[in-house]
Amino acid sequence: MAINSVAVVGVSRLAGELVKLSQASGLTATLHADADAVSTSASLVIETHAGAESDKKELLKKLDARVSGSTVIVSSCLAFSPTAIASWSAAPERVVGFATFYPLADKKVIELSGGLRTGDDSLEQAEEFFRRLGKETARVKDAAGLIFPRILSLIINEAARALDEGVAEEEAIDAAMKLGVNYPSGPLRWADRVGLDEVLAVLEGAHRESGDDRYRPSPLLKKMVAAGWLGEASGKGFYEYKA
Amino acid sequence: MSVNPSKIGVLGAGTMGAGIAQVAAQAGFDTLLYDVSQEFIDRGLGRIRTFLEGSRKRGKLSAEQEQQILARLKGTLKLEDFSGVGLVIEAVPEQIELKREIFKKLDAACGIETILATNTSSFSVTVIAAAARRRERVLGLHFFNPPPLMALVEVVQGEQTGAATMETATELVRRMGKTPVAAKDTPGFIVNRIARPFYNEALRILNDGGATVETIDKVMKGAGGFPMGPFELMDLIGIDINFAATQSLFEAFFHDPRFRPSPIQQRMFLAGNLGRKTGRGFYTYGDK
Ligand SMILES: NC(=O)c1ccc[n+]([C@@H]2O[C@H](COP(=O)([O-])OP(=O)(O)OC[C@H]3O[C@@H](n4cnc5c(N)ncnc54)[C@H](O)[C@@H]3O)[C@@H](O)[C@H]2O)c1
Repeated sequence: MAINSVAVVGVSRLAGELVKLSQASGLTATLHADADAVSTSASLVIETHAGAESDKKELLKKLDARVSGSTVIVSSCLAFSPTAIASWSAAPERVVGFATFYPLADKKVIELSGGLRTGDDSLEQAEEFFRRLGKETARVKDAAGLIFPRILSLIINEAARALDEGVAEEEAIDAAMKLGVNYPSGPLRWADRVGLDEVLAVLEGAHRESGDDRYRPSPLLKKMVAAGWLGEASGKGFYEYKA
Repeated sequence: MSVNPSKIGVLGAGTMGAGIAQVAAQAGFDTLLYDVSQEFIDRGLGRIRTFLEGSRKRGKLSAEQEQQILARLKGTLKLEDFSGVGLVIEAVPEQIELKREIFKKLDAACGIETILATNTSSFSVTVIAAAARRRERVLGLHFFNPPPLMALVEVVQGEQTGAATMETATELVRRMGKTPVAAKDTPGFIVNRIARPFYNEALRILNDGGATVETIDKVMKGAGGFPMGPFELMDLIGIDINFAATQSLFEAFFHDPRFRPSPIQQRMFLAGNLGRKTGRGFYTYGDK
């Protein structure tokens, strides 16, 4: 089935970017804060919710009721494996996972992943969608956070731990990683950019899924998210941002 | 005896020592390079000459500047020659007993005001400093390879390093044309610690069949914007060096699972597939 209209569901900055980029690529795209107003005729639905499990379950259930069972749903798998997300839909074969961080503009490659019950044709449609947006895709194994979001979140987690332990100050940590190993951004500044809540969601997802303590989130990161210090989007994270 | 702050001494004329000596001489410091035999000193000085010659041929250095830099560099086999220098940087092989022995000797050979720095990557600065009596004058100056090209120096404060020592050393690093970054004496300091997941999680994903080497590298470059993928970078650094760094952090953090080494990397290390330098690592190179 050709993709001509996309419904983007979510309140994240990534959702806004997906709409703009879809429109710029000649697709009809609409933005929806939740599933209630999603057009029943959308040829593909993409949703960016990375937070609580109950909200995500509810969202998938509502989408099931709105769009036909054959419409592909591309769902952010930052915090849950594609298999888990698909299990919350009555038609798991049409659910595909994707994982990336804001901003979309600088991403040349988008990671996609099918759950155990995801159909190959659904994956192909998701690939087709991102190709239309001018992105390359990479298929990777079913897991929360996939590859780049997971590795970056662990780097940020370690930076937050080092900061919390008083090893060095924010600017020192960021400068060291840029100059010592050529990272494109310091990890703390990077965390502010993508949002500390998203980083925490990836770590908690990987921790929950694997039970492996290598993913346990830094207490500082948890406290900052609890305090609403999410980074650029909220005006304060590891650094301050003027509105 | 007072020291000469524009004089720097370097111990060990290997990869790091020769590079650090070059940086110091280029920045205008009179530089003494010490090693255990004249042959090693000559080899180190030879590498510096080759590097400078290359810079001159690429128009980055005039013949006159090249001569001035070389004139500021002297080799020595006598530790006593370090007595009047402002700063000594130790870059001998990464063996704790060797380093402690050298700090004990430096303590005796150098003026009381001389600052003693270690370039260790994986040992505690505090433990090395404990071999000397002037512990408030000992710190870590962690350069990156190759020193002439890498801007960063981690200035590492041991438990007993004095604030004045940190300040003076930071200023000297700036005068050497490098960017100093202060860190407390903790395992891996800043960079080697925070960079661990870049390698370890990539290896974990590979081990679990999450994606191929090529896909993981492609994603980290194409989605993450990293200049090299983790496997390309490990091949460049050397699997042995990278594995040793991971093992040392794992030990230093009392086996915290965050630093658990990968069985894949261990196998490659034991098999001698060390990356580019052996022609075979995660990728194969040339016809080696
Ligand atoms: N190679 C790197 O990438 C890198 C990066 C940062 C820090 N370091 C650290 O720098 C230090 C040196 O590493 P390297 O790679 O230059 O090693 P290297 O083997 O290239 O050089 C060591 C030099 O020390 C000399 N030496 C041996 N015993 C000595 C002694 N008793 N007194 C004086 N000199 C002696 C050797 O002859 C050799 O020339 C180590 O502590 C290492 O951990 C290395």
